[in-house]
Amino acid sequence: MKEVRLWTASDVSDWLTDEGLQEYTDAFQDVDGPALLRLSEEDFKASPLSLVSGDSGRHLLERIKTLLLTSHMKAHKNNNNNENGHTVITLANGSVSNGKIHNGIPKNGLHPEPVRILIPQPPEQERTPYPTEWFKTGVAFLYALFCFLTTTVVISVVHERVPPKEESPPLPDKFFDLFDRVEWAFSICEINGMLLVGLWFMQWLLLKHRSIIGRRFFFIVGTLYLYRCMTMYVTTLPVPGMHFKCSPKIFGDWEAQSRRVMKMMAGGGLSITGSHSLCGDYLYSGHTVMLTLTYLFIKEYSPRRFWWYPWICWCLSAVGIFCILLAHDHYTIDVLLAYFITTRLFWWYHTMANQQALKEISTGNLFSRVWWFYPFQYFESNVRGIVPRNYQLPFLFRTVTCTRVKYSKLDSRES
Amino acid sequence: MAVSHLLDEQEDDTPNGGYHMMVTIEDGSRPQTTPTGRPHPSPVTSSGDQVDDSKSTRLARGFSKALRKNQDYIRIPVSRSIDSLLPAEWWKTGIAFIWAAFNLVLTTVMITVVHERVPDKSISPPLPDKFFDYVPRFEWAFSVTEVNGMILVALWFIQWLFLKHRAIVGRRFFFLQGMLYLYRMVTMYITTLPVPSMHMHCAPKLYGDSQGKIKRVLQLVSGGGLSITGSHLMCGDFLYSGHTVMLTLTFLFIQEYSPRSLLWRCYHLICWFLSAMGVIFILIAHEHYSLDVVVAYFITSRLFYWYHTMANNRTLRGSTHNYLNRIWWNRVFNFLEKNVKTTVPCSFSWPLLPPSAVFKNPCKSYSIVQSAQD
Repeated sequence: MKEVRLWTASDVSDWLTDEGLQEYTDAFQDVDGPALLRLSEEDFKASPLSLVSGDSGRHLLERIKTLLLTSHMKAHKNNNNNENGHTVITLANGSVSNGKIHNGIPKNGLHPEPVRILIPQPPEQERTPYPTEWFKTGVAFLYALFCFLTTTVVISVVHERVPPKEESPPLPDKFFDLFDRVEWAFSICEINGMLLVGLWFMQWLLLKHRSIIGRRFFFIVGTLYLYRCMTMYVTTLPVPGMHFKCSPKIFGDWEAQSRRVMKMMAGGGLSITGSHSLCGDYLYSGHTVMLTLTYLFIKEYSPRRFWWYPWICWCLSAVGIFCILLAHDHYTIDVLLAYFITTRLFWWYHTMANQQALKEISTGNLFSRVWWFYPFQYFESNVRGIVPRNYQLPFLFRTVTCTRVKYSKLDSRES
Repeated sequence: MAVSHLLDEQEDDTPNGGYHMMVTIEDGSRPQTTPTGRPHPSPVTSSGDQVDDSKSTRLARGFSKALRKNQDYIRIPVSRSIDSLLPAEWWKTGIAFIWAAFNLVLTTVMITVVHERVPDKSISPPLPDKFFDYVPRFEWAFSVTEVNGMILVALWFIQWLFLKHRAIVGRRFFFLQGMLYLYRMVTMYITTLPVPSMHMHCAPKLYGDSQGKIKRVLQLVSGGGLSITGSHLMCGDFLYSGHTVMLTLTFLFIQEYSPRSLLWRCYHLICWFLSAMGVIFILIAHEHYSLDVVVAYFITSRLFYWYHTMANNRTLRGSTHNYLNRIWWNRVFNFLEKNVKTTVPCSFSWPLLPPSAVFKNPCKSYSIVQSAQD
């Protein structure tokens, strides 16, 4: 870099441009290096400089001072170079760009190419309060699958222990005393169930935070079916009605039993698909669980605008449950217990998930004493706050650029 | 002279308790007060001696006299002690007790009704039960259960007597017990399970004999529903098990309202052992199905945790995102626990004497200064 004293007027104007002080270039057209150094505050009080400068040249004077200092330092360094063995900083490529580099040291500290400053990106859980973490959703899905499989196996096992109708007649039930059996009622229940599951699935696809909500659904459904396994297994209730046609028992034939299990899983345990021919799975009712749980999830994560939508689902759910009893397919206790356990577990889980204070073990937090507290913490530890009801088209349908509609409830960009 | 604010001792019951009274007297003259609080008989206010004989002067004089009388002391508000955060409110405990008693009686009536519907052993044999397949019956087992239950109830009662906030804790116990028995009534009634084992002798059915039924109800209530007292003759009350409820509930309460030191933890362990043994022996005695016991344990523990979490976390109570509010007994809960503003600490005190009476020394009271127990 040339010493400031040796600068010409063009050097001065280059320097002003570099410093971002273009407004002075016109006024300093014939100001060279020494004149620049001679500038003082008085000059800025007179025109034409007073018209150009907004802060009476203070900024410019400071820059000049800095410039003087750096040029002195560089001169000093160059002089000491041979004695102390300091190396002069040279650019790696030694390139020259528009005459601004002298002796390999860029003028005014300007680098010809941009310097990349690495800012470490925080992990996803710090960037957003609702990290997606699809891995955890996958774990929850596997857990639910495992629970379904266990339930099917247990049903198959329990089927062998159900006492025949002749030996153990149906137990007295208050609802059955009041209402006679209606044959087609169970199909209504199953249709309602399938409708509700379909509606919930579509709604889930449209949710923005579908990984978190899906995780919750799988975990709750899995746990409910696990509880159901236990209650089914310990005590076997007899068939609730004489109309039941239970498949014959296969004592010890493992192959046939596993085939039965497969058939049941494939059909989803529904009578409509013909896979519900096994008896013994009465306490508690899996149909009630699905009807209630899908309704609760639909209501929880549906937009407030469409208030009629949860109401319709409620009607579907209630009619479905009533039809189970009307068809004499389950005892009243099965349905009641299923409803109780489903609602309590749902509310419990969501209360814990929504309050940060309840996610930690403390003496005031008795919720932490449940056995599933550690899996719960694993799933929900990075979710900070209440998951908002935002909607976003699933990946395949999302357009890259937002077309005509700029503001809508649907969130089209990744955030 | 301007007396702008008069004495107005307002005690507001605001939650940030105790900051109330402002005595600001804007008249320029204040009689000097000695540290003992008695006013100087020194030159009285110049304001009072003004020769202006107007009504306003007389009024002012009257005011200043009143001011002087009450200027003996200045009350410094002190933040409320923990006692006001946990008011006793024995009447609420009384209501909870009535609720529990009512439910107990109603349960007894329901058992009598259900007894008539239990299918006979010959028609409906005992249902297959996993536990019964593995463990044969022992006759004396049920007595062990009931003895355990009585010990636990007695232990809990003694512990309760010595708790400081026994009104609040008693209220909670009665409410939960009543609620559990209410649920039990419903589950017993809607579906009737057959007897779990052929050894059970059910009392004969009284078809329509109301008087006999009433006598049975009274007998059951007086015996506490225990077989030991000979009052447990009726069948049909299987789902879910009342014995398990009592064993679990007393243990949970004992554990919750006692200190957590090592010695006390041994005590908890003993109580847990009693409770667990009691529950297992119910099954060994083939007096209940495994399902009854499992469901009873589940419902008792969940209800207990639910109630106490709601009670301990004030933030949960008003929040709209709190799903615990959707429970059907939420209003009753709010009624009972509205004024309990913090977690009930575990502190003990003598049951009979009121705490302050024991420690107040009458000789040292300051009569002019009002006592803190205002």
